[in-house]
Amino acid sequence: MSFDQSEDRDGVRFSWNVWPTSRVEATKNLLVPLGCLYTPLHQSPEITQVPYPPLRCKGICNAILNPYCTIAPPYKTWVCPFCLQHNQFPPHYAGISDVNRPAELLPHVTTIEYQLPTAETPLPIYLFVVDVCVPDDELQSLTDSLTMSLSLIPENSYVGLITFGSMVQLYELGFTSCPKSYVFRGDPPTNTFKIANLMQKVGSPETMNLQSKRFLVPVSECEFHLTSILEEIQKDPCRVASDKRPLRATGMAFSVASALLSTVASNMGGRIMAFVGGPGTSGPGLVVSEDLREPIRSHHEVIKGKTKYTSKAYQFYKSIGERSVASGHAIDIFSCSLDQVGLYEMREMVKLTGGYMVLADSFDHPMFTQSFQKIFTREDNAFKMGYNAEIQVCTSMSLKVCGAIGHMSSKNNKTSCVGENEIGIGGTSSWKVCALDQNSTFAFYFEIANTQQNAPEQLGLVQFITSYQNSFGKQILRVSTIRREWVQHTIEQQQNITMLANGFDQETSAVLMARLAVFKAETEELPDITRWLDKMLIKLVSKYADYRRDDPTSFKLVLNFSIYPHFMFHLRRSSFLQVFNSSPDESSFYRFMLNRENVSNSLIMIQPTLEKYSFNGPPHPEVLSASSISTDSILLLDTFFHVLIFHGETIAQWRKAGYDKDPQHQNFRDLLQAPKDDAAHILKERFPYPRYIVCDQHSGEARFLLAIIDPNITHTSNTPQDPSKGEIVFTDDVNLHVFLEHLKKFAVQS
Amino acid sequence: MFLFDWFWNVLSFLVIMMEKMSFVTTFSLIGHSKILNLLLTTIGLYNKNAKILFLGLDNAGKTTLLGVLKDGRLSSYLPTFHPTSEELAMGNIRFKAFDLGGHESARRLWKDYYPSVDAIVYLIDSSAQDRFVESKKELDSLLSSDELANVPFLILGNKVDIGGTPSEEKFRAALGLTQTTGKGKTTLNGVRPIEVFMCSVVKRYGYAEGFRWLANYL
Repeated sequence: MSFDQSEDRDGVRFSWNVWPTSRVEATKNLLVPLGCLYTPLHQSPEITQVPYPPLRCKGICNAILNPYCTIAPPYKTWVCPFCLQHNQFPPHYAGISDVNRPAELLPHVTTIEYQLPTAETPLPIYLFVVDVCVPDDELQSLTDSLTMSLSLIPENSYVGLITFGSMVQLYELGFTSCPKSYVFRGDPPTNTFKIANLMQKVGSPETMNLQSKRFLVPVSECEFHLTSILEEIQKDPCRVASDKRPLRATGMAFSVASALLSTVASNMGGRIMAFVGGPGTSGPGLVVSEDLREPIRSHHEVIKGKTKYTSKAYQFYKSIGERSVASGHAIDIFSCSLDQVGLYEMREMVKLTGGYMVLADSFDHPMFTQSFQKIFTREDNAFKMGYNAEIQVCTSMSLKVCGAIGHMSSKNNKTSCVGENEIGIGGTSSWKVCALDQNSTFAFYFEIANTQQNAPEQLGLVQFITSYQNSFGKQILRVSTIRREWVQHTIEQQQNITMLANGFDQETSAVLMARLAVFKAETEELPDITRWLDKMLIKLVSKYADYRRDDPTSFKLVLNFSIYPHFMFHLRRSSFLQVFNSSPDESSFYRFMLNRENVSNSLIMIQPTLEKYSFNGPPHPEVLSASSISTDSILLLDTFFHVLIFHGETIAQWRKAGYDKDPQHQNFRDLLQAPKDDAAHILKERFPYPRYIVCDQHSGEARFLLAIIDPNITHTSNTPQDPSKGEIVFTDDVNLHVFLEHLKKFAVQS
Repeated sequence: MFLFDWFWNVLSFLVIMMEKMSFVTTFSLIGHSKILNLLLTTIGLYNKNAKILFLGLDNAGKTTLLGVLKDGRLSSYLPTFHPTSEELAMGNIRFKAFDLGGHESARRLWKDYYPSVDAIVYLIDSSAQDRFVESKKELDSLLSSDELANVPFLILGNKVDIGGTPSEEKFRAALGLTQTTGKGKTTLNGVRPIEVFMCSVVKRYGYAEGFRWLANYL
């Protein structure tokens, strides 16, 4: 079975698909961690859905009945493959025979969804938190987007509204005679805002529930009222001097929002959607002062630890995130500004809760308007969402889970499946995720616990159990049970290596390494991380490549390792690990997205794709290098964050001369149209909506392409400057060829 | 100003040394700035602090210049979106340089960085003659801004290595900069220092003279 076949069926891809039998062997040979990427809401027509609850093993593992359980006539009991516990089948399973089995025991049903018969919860709740310190035209555009969303949100969904500027206003949407709101100071005397403070302010604790419909009201009952409130929202009245920033109580707004949801709708799916147009400058969680003479922190200050507000603000927002996790609510941030708003300080709040992060230039930019609209238009039958979810991992005894990297938080559930080493969010075998969609992907890292030489008797198994509330308020439990083979142990060491090598998935491995590198970037210095990546790469290829010692020319990588070094080359150059020319907010956003997406989208981020369109044949993928640029072709670049159409010089001249308008040049018109159609397809699918650029060779915007391609032709290279051979890049950066040559040299060194 | 040149020589020597070292070190391209800071601290050059803005149209070369000043390396960058800053040291000035995006919508942000600025470095792509009018318009509005009334302006005509760029005279004429305060160190009695230097960041010449000139007025 190929690696993506397994992904199609179960939404799981492993770095190594044949597992070493012992801990010693694993430490020696697994030079990329053993791990997988798991997409809990991965959609596939093959997924079986059943309307009854699952059978759980009564042993310590708490695993769920699956096709790898041992059952034998007379089919009265089942043996759990994780803890070897014998379990009785309940009476309603009495009809099992050789030919008649419940769905969860059929060999191909490795992934199944149970619908739990628990009471339905209300539909997801949306609490809008709106920044009113933005220019009038942008505020108008933002409220238009919000009004539009009301027609897309299911009418039984509850909504609420908070606005913030120098003060925070909580609207009582249930009071329809006139707009009524409770006003909170932006800079309260104490920096902690507790639920008790909220109660004290709004009074009548008995009304703090969904039924009383005070602050959170179903769309069907408040659409008209809320629309009129949105129409009348005014820019913050506080006057701002030309050398000052507006007073913006961002921290206080999040405090009120999370306190409200925790009180009124604890453990019901919901999201705080915050629209932020500038940095917090007042009250708790401020990230920069009001004075424009003091610029907001940048990377060099962060690196040197010379930031004034960052660590305090970070802790503040993190605590809000923790409170939201406890009550099961996601926090989304739409950062819409030309400058930073403090995503760097607020990131943990979004990461812990599994919310969305969108970075756009302004509230009227398509990167915001389209992204925001997508959240609601996708959320129908065709696009699966999950709320207030929990992911539990069970492993066979020879395998332990070290931790996870993704947008989730630990449930601190230290079971026997938890390994000694910690990678990412570790020390637990279950995690909370307040919101997920069908792209949300989590990386799990494992270790081999077997200390014996021989292959374990047990099957190599991992079971993922994800419980969540779906968009219709139903409780779903999704179970995927994944089996992989152990290395068939032989005395010949080289044979073991070959078996491991055959199971190596270079794409998944690259993504797992990238997530680990980005996780390390939270605490370690970037040059150290690059060095670590280099060391790991050299060790990996020197173990798995064919070569004669000290002879770089003999170096050869087998097919399923061959492009791994290319991924590493692009990863170490990427904005994930290079921060020059990025702000801390931008780096936070890029890294956030890498930690969220599945293997194929993450690979686009690591090594963007390039498609070439020309008269010399059908469109085809091109190598991401300077030599792929030619004057007579069009390129389509997809970096996940940017989608760029690049017209070669000749194409651009023809277009400027209006050849595409000439009826005789239908094929030129078609050539111009083809990349646009393909780009439109990407834009339709992608979330968040990427920056879309159409540009010509030698223009300023061509830098979107020149900055990321492999610079194999530069101003210093001796190649004759022939425009048909590619484009010159002005850079001192090493190119892929030099990188690979060095890699070979070091890999074959004895 | 031999120190500046001496420094570049040392740096290029270090780069060569690093290239000769192991693979791992060769590719760890960050770290030069540490060496730079160390060098300058040891010879006691850190004694002035200044806030300098790098402004100009998009694709003028602001980020590339900042990259070259920061760690001596030329690289190709994405257009700048959020403003970024770096601490640099040159000659006997230590300054914080702010690199702001130059595309039209990003220019709205420039004014937020005017308070307490000590100098403006305005870059113009001298090979893009079709954009001189646009560049002049932005420069004129900067020069006439009350908030920047006494702030020194270093105008860098970048990319002169590209064939077909105009001569300095023609460049000055096109930008309306025929009258400037002079390339030497002069006492200006309240007149704002402003001077044009033609340069090529890629070929690494011209801008150093500009910064040396600017240092006189910080």
